[in-house]
This record gives sequence, structure tokens and C-alpha cells, in this order.
Amino acid sequence: MSPSAAQPSAALTIRADLWEARRASDWLAAAAHAQNVPPDQVVRLDHCLDEALANVIRHGGPTALSSPVHLQFRVRRQAGASTAELSVSDAGVAFDPSAGIAATLPPASLADATPGGLGLLLIRNFSDDLSYRHSQGRNNLTITVSWRDEPSPTPQS
Amino acid sequence: MGIRFQDVNEDLRRIVLSGRLDTAGSEEIARQFGELTLTSKAVVVHLSEVRFLSSMAIGILLKGAKAVQRMGGGLALHVGENEVVIRTLEATGINQLIPTFEDGQDAEKAVVK
Repeated sequence: MSPSAAQPSAALTIRADLWEARRASDWLAAAAHAQNVPPDQVVRLDHCLDEALANVIRHGGPTALSSPVHLQFRVRRQAGASTAELSVSDAGVAFDPSAGIAATLPPASLADATPGGLGLLLIRNFSDDLSYRHSQGRNNLTITVSWRDEPSPTPQS
Repeated sequence: MGIRFQDVNEDLRRIVLSGRLDTAGSEEIARQFGELTLTSKAVVVHLSEVRFLSSMAIGILLKGAKAVQRMGGGLALHVGENEVVIRTLEATGINQLIPTFEDGQDAEKAVVK
């Protein structure tokens, strides 16, 4: 295996609605299982995917709702370490979920608490890296999780 | 995803949420959950059977906790050993705002005056 081996990527295109988000979650689970991604890493990506799609649907505007959302999933393996990248591309209002997250702090009291910003907190907490670019009218967000691979059992002689 | 409830007595209502409370699932239970928190002063929400908790679901919990608080009551969460739920609550800081317990009896003691 090369020092950094990318596995074949999986792709899905969905409509921007919440029930399609369910289909996207099923697709992610299947794609991750096929590439032996540990279940706890899939849970992290699944939460990020749900929140990212909810943002598109709620805040992306009419263009987001009438345009397809493209998803791509890829696993990269190196010696002892792996990463999984989930990319979400939508045609909504330009929005960078990786910017301004530091200012999105948990509320100080129940009275102050509002649901706004909680999704961004979750995406940040459940991912190891976020990258964003806006190109040709589309938001392109890549969510990355990383983990150490369990060493293979030593063969018995 | 599911929602059921039990009025233990005049003072205490248990609400049990289960399954996948992603954004779509949370929208499905939002109305019933809101109604259940408008008519009781002591509420324990059991989350140990939940396998996915979205920010939408957390928003519903927040709204319910505020509604109970406005009536002079209290709402607590029972999470058991549900690591996904615990991590999600910790990530958003909600466990610092709504009393959260691993033990269900402790949660009930916390809200019954």
C-alpha cells in the first residue's frame, strides 16, 4: 500500500429536504461500512451530515431548495492512521460553517439559551477538520474525521 | 423515533424519547413534546433509548425546559450510559443548563419538590 492510499469514493445526489437527508444518512452508513470505517467515526460523520443538510434546508434559501445537493465520501489510509472525508455541495446562499464558529459558545443560562448555533457547535465538535470554499455558485464543505487504526493481530507461527 | 409518556402522579411526568432524533425525526415529535411540557411542573425526559440527537432535538428540549421553568417547575434529563447522547449534550453545553443524570431516580428526585 502506498503511504497515503485513497479508497474509491462514493457519491450521492439528493434533493434538499429532510427526508432526503435520511436517505443520505443511510448512504453514508453503507459507504462507510464498505470501507471498514469504525462505527464511532460513522456516528460523528452522521451527526455532521444531518446538521450540514439541515443548515442548507433551513438557511440556504430558494435556490438551495430547488437545486440538487451533491455528497461525496472518501477514505484515506496511511500507516496506522486513517481519515474519512465527507463533502457536501449545495447551491444555497454562501455560508462558511467553518468561519465564526469560535464565537458560537454555549449559552450561559437556560433563559439565554436559543437553538441558534447549536448545529454549528455539533459539526465542530464531531469533526476533526472543516474546510470550505465557494465556487461557481456552490458551497463546498468538507468534513473530516480521523482515527488510529487498530494494529493487525500478529500471525501465529 | 418515538415518544411516550407516563404521569407517575400529580407531580411527576415521565417522557420517554427513543430512536433516531435527527432533524426529520425531531420535527415529528416536536408538537407532542411541547404539549407534554406545558401541563406538568415536574418532568423527566428519558433519553437512554435515543441513538441520535440532533440540534433540532436539543432545541425542543430547551423549549420544553423553559416552559416548565416558567411554571415554577423543573425538567431534568436521564441519559443512562448513552455515550452518543452524553457527548452531544456536552458538545452543546446543554448538560450545564438542564440538569442531566445517569440515574433515572436521581433525575426524578431533582425535579420533584
